[in-house]
Amino acid sequence: MPSIEYDDSKPSWADQVEEEGDEGTLPSPKETIKGNIKTVTEYKIDDDGKKFKIVRTFKIETRKASKLLPEERSNWKKFGNSEFDAPGPNVATTTVSDDVFMTFISSKEDLNAQDQDEDPMNKLKGQKIVSCRICKGDHWTTRCPYKDTLGPMQKELAEQLGLSTGDKEKPAAEPEPAQPAQSKTGKYVPPSLRDGGTRRGESMQPNRRADDNATIRVTNLSEDTRETDLQELFRPFGSISRIYLAKDKNTGQSKGFAFISFHRREDAARAIAGVSGFGYDHLILNVEWAKPSNN
Amino acid sequence: MKPILLQGHERSITQIKYNREGDLLFSVAKDTVANVWYSVNGERLGTYNGHTGAVWCVDCDWDTKNVLTGSADNSCRLWDCETGKQLALLNTNSAVRTCGFDFSGNIIMFSTDKQMGYQCYLNFFDLRDPQQIEDNQPYLSIPCNDAKITSAVWGPLGEFVNAGHENGEINQFSAKSGEILKKAKEHSRQINDIQTSVDLTMFISASKDNTAKLFDSTSLEHIKTFKTERPVNSAAISPIMDHVVMGGGQEAMEVTTTSTRIGKFEARFFHAAYEEEFGRVKGHFGPINCVAFHPDGKSYSSGGEDGYVRIHYFDPQYFDFELEGPVRPFG
Repeated sequence: MPSIEYDDSKPSWADQVEEEGDEGTLPSPKETIKGNIKTVTEYKIDDDGKKFKIVRTFKIETRKASKLLPEERSNWKKFGNSEFDAPGPNVATTTVSDDVFMTFISSKEDLNAQDQDEDPMNKLKGQKIVSCRICKGDHWTTRCPYKDTLGPMQKELAEQLGLSTGDKEKPAAEPEPAQPAQSKTGKYVPPSLRDGGTRRGESMQPNRRADDNATIRVTNLSEDTRETDLQELFRPFGSISRIYLAKDKNTGQSKGFAFISFHRREDAARAIAGVSGFGYDHLILNVEWAKPSNN
Repeated sequence: MKPILLQGHERSITQIKYNREGDLLFSVAKDTVANVWYSVNGERLGTYNGHTGAVWCVDCDWDTKNVLTGSADNSCRLWDCETGKQLALLNTNSAVRTCGFDFSGNIIMFSTDKQMGYQCYLNFFDLRDPQQIEDNQPYLSIPCNDAKITSAVWGPLGEFVNAGHENGEINQFSAKSGEILKKAKEHSRQINDIQTSVDLTMFISASKDNTAKLFDSTSLEHIKTFKTERPVNSAAISPIMDHVVMGGGQEAMEVTTTSTRIGKFEARFFHAAYEEEFGRVKGHFGPINCVAFHPDGKSYSSGGEDGYVRIHYFDPQYFDFELEGPVRPFG
């Protein structure tokens, strides 16, 4: 231990010789300033014992800086409409918004794909929303340009073939363009909420509302109930405009409730009075007014 | 990123600008009040009250002492930045469309609209000579006969002003003689905004012709073009990355007829060299009227037709993101 201490305070003779040698061979560093050029000259010996002269040249630049630094500006007194604001952001003028993210686009294709996603109408472009019954074109039947020429001809033709136009109308009106999309998700979407729903059947809207007023809800139906059964049951009370029986999609069995729309509200009222508590197919039926739908 | 939402205006934002250090953000709108905010937390420092019409433009000098605003009330006003006091009022014959301090902060320029039978003028005042302001007599006033100036910025060293016109032309006006030094006609429609790079060597022009273009400030050489499908209202150059940000959207009059989802009200980021879009940021409910990068390049702000200013601090992903270059046939 003592020997080490000795080494620390006084370097060994070998080191001394080396240091002395360095000082002897290397000139001291020099620094000269000429105008706005400063030159620093240094000498150095690297590990291999080679000597180097290092000349560094600096350009001296005087820069004007604002006397006020941003930190000092942060102590400024508030003024104008913010004069009486407390320190810190005022919630009336400054809020933190919801998180947003930068969507990165790595190629042009992504960009186009995104564009199409964004426009809901683009999705429908490929599909026919409306189909004309006369010429099968992509427009309403009433707006068909061939309405006056082709229409009557088709009617005649149909009559000749012994088909009533009414029957023909049905299949044409039934197919719904949004049907495939709907079945994919497996969730029931009311027609009014389906894509293009706002466009289709606009003329039906007031009618539907009237139906709502004269609609009754029948619950506690048995699983075997069919629409025809309901028709039989409720026809005596008045003319029915619509029967909707909730059915399980897979089994086709009734889910136990149905909506019956009458043309007249009095008929519906009589139906409630008549059928409520009625024993039907070993169950006691419960009939009441249907709540207006949200749509 | 969580943007800071600044609600200091009642009408659509017309211009936003950072000061040189970026600690303050100025915003002006079609209401009469100019606002100044701390960019770090969105706190409002104050307002410059006095204008009686829509304020079209704002600028701040290099040492954040004075603020200049130009308004449709036919005046250009100079304010003390710290206290909000009005230092000078320069009355004009028509609305002041664009204004700016030169590099030294001594000379101001502003342009007036072609309106009510008056011509468009580009005016220069030297603030070191109080007489000029007192007499409301610019030392140089350049008339623009054909198309009015819609946006203008100072070139390097305060020698000239690059002005964009209603017809898409860009002219370089000497600040000393007033003559047109150079012309460029790369845009086909009105130039909405011109912003320079930090070192003033380049500027980017945003035009109604759906493009933004990068130019050399001195030679007016056209360098790059950034194409979109909507009119570009504003564009800015990142001080640290090879990026430009563009704000736009369809015209205000058409906004009510389209949904926000297809309205394209996003700020769009393009690579400055590849001219390719690489990112978008949503948020505004209407077209973006102005964008500005913080001088440190780590945040940017946008002001919209919806009257909001949003300060966005970039996520780390932004700095990590590398755009794949265009595919070249021989690698």
